[in-house]
Amino acid sequence: MGGGSDPQWGDASVPPVVEPSADELLRRVARGDEDAFRALYDLVAPRVYGLARRVVRDPAQAEEVAQEALVEVWRTAPRYDSSKGSASAWVLTIAHRRAVDRVRAAQAGADRERRVAAASVDTPYDDVVEGVTASLEQQQVRRCLQGLTDLQREAITLAYYDGYSYREVAEKLETALPTIKSRLRDGLIRLRDCLGVAVGFATGAGR
Amino acid sequence: MSQSIDIHTLAGAYALDAVTEIERAGFARHLSECDACTLEVAELTETAARLATVTRATPPARLRQAVLAEVGRTRQASAGPSHRAASRRAGTGGMTWPRRVLGAVAAAVVLLAGVGAVLVQQRRLDVAEQQAQALQEAQAEMGRVLAAGDAELHSTSVGGGTMTVAVSPRLGAGVVLVDSLPAPPDGMVYQVWRIADGEPTSIGVFAEGQRSGTVPMDTLGDADTIGVTREPPGGSSTPTMPIVAAVELA
Repeated sequence: MGGGSDPQWGDASVPPVVEPSADELLRRVARGDEDAFRALYDLVAPRVYGLARRVVRDPAQAEEVAQEALVEVWRTAPRYDSSKGSASAWVLTIAHRRAVDRVRAAQAGADRERRVAAASVDTPYDDVVEGVTASLEQQQVRRCLQGLTDLQREAITLAYYDGYSYREVAEKLETALPTIKSRLRDGLIRLRDCLGVAVGFATGAGR
Repeated sequence: MSQSIDIHTLAGAYALDAVTEIERAGFARHLSECDACTLEVAELTETAARLATVTRATPPARLRQAVLAEVGRTRQASAGPSHRAASRRAGTGGMTWPRRVLGAVAAAVVLLAGVGAVLVQQRRLDVAEQQAQALQEAQAEMGRVLAAGDAELHSTSVGGGTMTVAVSPRLGAGVVLVDSLPAPPDGMVYQVWRIADGEPTSIGVFAEGQRSGTVPMDTLGDADTIGVTREPPGGSSTPTMPIVAAVELA
């Protein structure tokens, strides 16, 4: 946002110090609350855009993907089921899928290689907007990634950040398909345990 | 059954979106019938999303304006499908079906998802919705046949692919599921026939290049065999020999 005196949620109901949770905001968005959507945007857009940028590479396309994803969040918010995961994970799943779809749709081998080669140069990491919590989260994710085996980490990186299918990952890493499938799974399981991720299924709301 | 093992190890790739659209649809369907997988996938998806923490970037201000403007003129979806799906599952009494039938249904559903992907070529959003709809229709027919209580399944394999026929003698109806037949020679398509005492009736013609599909049979008649042949695009009025695959219903 930058220039304006904008933070929409800062003034009224939400105390400025405490970040409103994405879960609470998404529940309001599901009821058609556009103010809540603006607040949700400010909360998740840096991750949505950054992810699109990382996967898609091209800034203009990343912007399109982010826009599509965020509008889809608005459109399908009534279908969000909190028993299946957190709001921010839901949003980022939509964004990631969109980004991956975009990459695969545009995909020609050579094009793809150029794209990846250009990656290290222009991936923007912006620590300014984030605050302490976010940078702690980043450190934790990086640390947990380091805790994986090389093959697990490479496979997960190619799949998630570069948008490759597991078949492509297997080719790139010259590793058998079943091995790659397993590494993706046990790598994620190890990350899950390292990050302490849990999904609350116990609340039987609507199930 | 090897398929369930295979599909289970796909959980990581699925959570990372590292699967094809067909696998994605098939796996999503599988999830709706497997609570243990659902929990694992939910956790792995949650974990994958955390990976986006390290790629944060400040979006340009115009993105916010563009998104909010579009949101202002975009209607929200209804809460519908997941609830409908749940009640549909509950309503068909799936738990009472024999395991063999359930296995075939799972396989059928996976391939139906694939069919949707083959047939529909529009924008992604539409694809997802139309796929879901095509799936629902095919499943409805499938569900009707299987729910009849006297459903019989007959299956044959054809060079790496399969043809499965589910019939309910009581309803006098059935569904033919064709999955991954070998690619036909150039300029040929697959055509499906219902054969009664040597008398063939065409019940479906595939598009060029189409190797998987589903053909509902409202009327079974005295059919004793379901057969598939290769024909010119658009199909023929009588089958061209040889029959590529045949399933006997007796």
